Amino acid sequence: MRNILLIFRRDYLGYVKAWGFWLSLAAVPLFMIIGAALASFAAQSSPVRYYAVIEPGGIYAEAIEAEFQRREMANAERTSELAEQLDLPVMSEDEARAAAEGASIASRKFIPVPAPADSIDGLRPYLLGEKLVSGPLGDKPLFAAFVLAEDGGELEYWSDDVNVDQLRYLAQDAMLRLARRDALNKAGLGEDFLQKVDDNAFDVPARRIRTIEEQDATGAEVTMADRAPMFVAGGLAYFLWLMVFSIIQYLLMGTIEERSNKIFDTLLTSVKLPELLAGKMLAVFAVTSTMMLSWGLFAFAGGTLVATQIPGVGSIIEPFLATLANPAIIVPGLISFILGYIMYGMIFMALGSLCDTIQEAQTLLSPMMILLMLPMFAIFIAFQDPGSPLVDIASWIPFFTPFLLILRMPHDPPLWEVLAQMGLMAGFALLILWLSTKVYRAGAVHGAGIGDMGGMLKRMVGLKGKAV
Amino acid sequence: MPSSPLIMTSVTKRFGTFTAVDNLSLEVPDGQIIGFLGPNGAGKSTSLRMGLGIMEPDSGEVELFGARPNVRALQQVGFLPEERGLYKKMTARDTISHFARLKGLSAHDARTRADELLSAAGLEEFSRARISKLSKGMAQKVQILSTLAHRPKFLILDEPFSGLDPVNQQALEDLVRAEHARGATILFSTHVMEHAERLCDRIVMMARGRKVLDGTLKEAFATLGQGARISVENGFDLSSALGPKGFEAVRTTDAGHGETWRIDLPPGREAQDALRAAIEAGAPITGFAPEEARLRDVFVSLVGEADAAALAASLAEDEAA
Repeated sequence: MRNILLIFRRDYLGYVKAWGFWLSLAAVPLFMIIGAALASFAAQSSPVRYYAVIEPGGIYAEAIEAEFQRREMANAERTSELAEQLDLPVMSEDEARAAAEGASIASRKFIPVPAPADSIDGLRPYLLGEKLVSGPLGDKPLFAAFVLAEDGGELEYWSDDVNVDQLRYLAQDAMLRLARRDALNKAGLGEDFLQKVDDNAFDVPARRIRTIEEQDATGAEVTMADRAPMFVAGGLAYFLWLMVFSIIQYLLMGTIEERSNKIFDTLLTSVKLPELLAGKMLAVFAVTSTMMLSWGLFAFAGGTLVATQIPGVGSIIEPFLATLANPAIIVPGLISFILGYIMYGMIFMALGSLCDTIQEAQTLLSPMMILLMLPMFAIFIAFQDPGSPLVDIASWIPFFTPFLLILRMPHDPPLWEVLAQMGLMAGFALLILWLSTKVYRAGAVHGAGIGDMGGMLKRMVGLKGKAV
Repeated sequence: MPSSPLIMTSVTKRFGTFTAVDNLSLEVPDGQIIGFLGPNGAGKSTSLRMGLGIMEPDSGEVELFGARPNVRALQQVGFLPEERGLYKKMTARDTISHFARLKGLSAHDARTRADELLSAAGLEEFSRARISKLSKGMAQKVQILSTLAHRPKFLILDEPFSGLDPVNQQALEDLVRAEHARGATILFSTHVMEHAERLCDRIVMMARGRKVLDGTLKEAFATLGQGARISVENGFDLSSALGPKGFEAVRTTDAGHGETWRIDLPPGREAQDALRAAIEAGAPITGFAPEEARLRDVFVSLVGEADAAALAASLAEDEAA
């Protein structure tokens, strides 16, 4: 154990003392902050643009304006619902309407202005930026103009910038609503007919079937407590995948360094090979854990900061914490996690021991990435539809089992399946451990290379192969 | 404690169809300096690695401190591998103390010992320098110090002089003597016979995986007939002159100013006896030199010119390095 710890300590300190580690550590929160700042800056700094509508009666301009207001109102309602969930002070409908109206002036990115000409030819210099139009924010070029076609059948959208399409799509929606309103009016049904129809439609609330006792205690509604296990399991499976994905480089490069530094003989006259491998695996595990814990702490600090501002956030987090404390999910999850890490980690370390140079290792990276993408697809499918027969079958393939068993746990799979898959996983992990140790020994002690792998595998399964 | 730190009995190692070590039996007696000689590819390193348990022999037995090589026994061993290498990003001090800790020293003792050794080797000012910043010679010294840090009872040095300049070779010879004086048993492999001549109590010679000699220097030299070289002028036939007196003479060279004859000395006869006999026979002597046997000659006599050429090639490679 002492030797394992000494190998672990050296490797761990070797990794964390490197600049690359600190760069990686800082990169995620830094990019998150920069990304959020850039997104906020982009939203705030996006230019306010003028548009005009050329039409005889002002119906279309009014319809577009109504569509702007409808969307702003819908946004205000969504915000209000979220605030209600989080126990934040909720605005009344009138306040929401007033806020939406205020937003229409303060934050709208498209503002209507009177058309400076009554034909597209007259507007041309304004649309090309050669002349400016006056509006609430001063003189600006005209960004777009809607012109009613001569036959009255189209509202043409004219602009010099064909890439910014939001205004056109919004106008399209406005025209649809206008057409519906006209049709309803003609039918004598009134503008709010469809809304009333929608309001009368049956709601289909989600109910979870439970035992009578459970239902009496918690009710039948589907809450975050019902969904949290799947989110936690998904997070754990993704965390395992991310961990495995992150260790490739550490295990490959670390082993190559030792091989190219010709240090194995010195190490192997001080520690046993299993101790060496265990120390190295633990070190890489600790390095990636340090990184992810640091990011987690960063997220936690940010979350706590938000939680102090939002009183209801605790009730959202609570089901997730309860899931993490549920042994039926977390025990198989952790076992899968550890066995998955051993399985993949040992494969990468063994392959690293066969490489003399980084270039040689890079040739291995592509197949490794493909090997790793397969579980990612499996995670995706399992998250979408955990009961899929494909997931059931794939969960018996040992390379996928660690990920898929974690994801199946919230759905109470039969106990025998859980135990059988854990047994299969453990057996396969042991097989990988045995094979990888052999390969590692061949690479580290005998200097075998990637080209010798065929011969090695043949000899391992009892066929004659070239000795290394 | 067993009297022999390392005993190898009938050890064989094959790589495919190639036999690297063939039926080697070897005993390293406690407290001695043993030279393990032979050209590159003779099987020295493979034998040492089997002795340390890095490699398993295909057949035969290895006992290190009375048992199959194991971590406990290896804690009493200091091993300098032929292919040197250290963690390039570690400092000299951390390197020595890390390997000392792996050999059982406490953190404090390992650091103290590292400082002590670096200071003694004149590398004090580089103790916190990364290995990558040190010269090749300095890094090699650090590796040697790492081997000695835990005061091993048994030192195995695989080609320790390889790659060192003459000054550092001398320093290493002194270090080997100092370790021996401390009580360590030392087994070192080399293809430079002169180091073995100066340092060893016993030598083991290998060629093509087989042991060809195992004994003291005296025993090694005894395998060679002793001789002398006498140069004469005017085409004097020394063979006819010395034959009746019990000496066999063979003409070897004609250097322009006369001929040189090699005289085989029968047991109990000295070079001076051959010289006296030649004078008495009236030989016009222009030169005389008692032949000093070298280990190389022993090697040549045991394995022939082909392996001697391999040895010369190893030396040339070493010099080029």
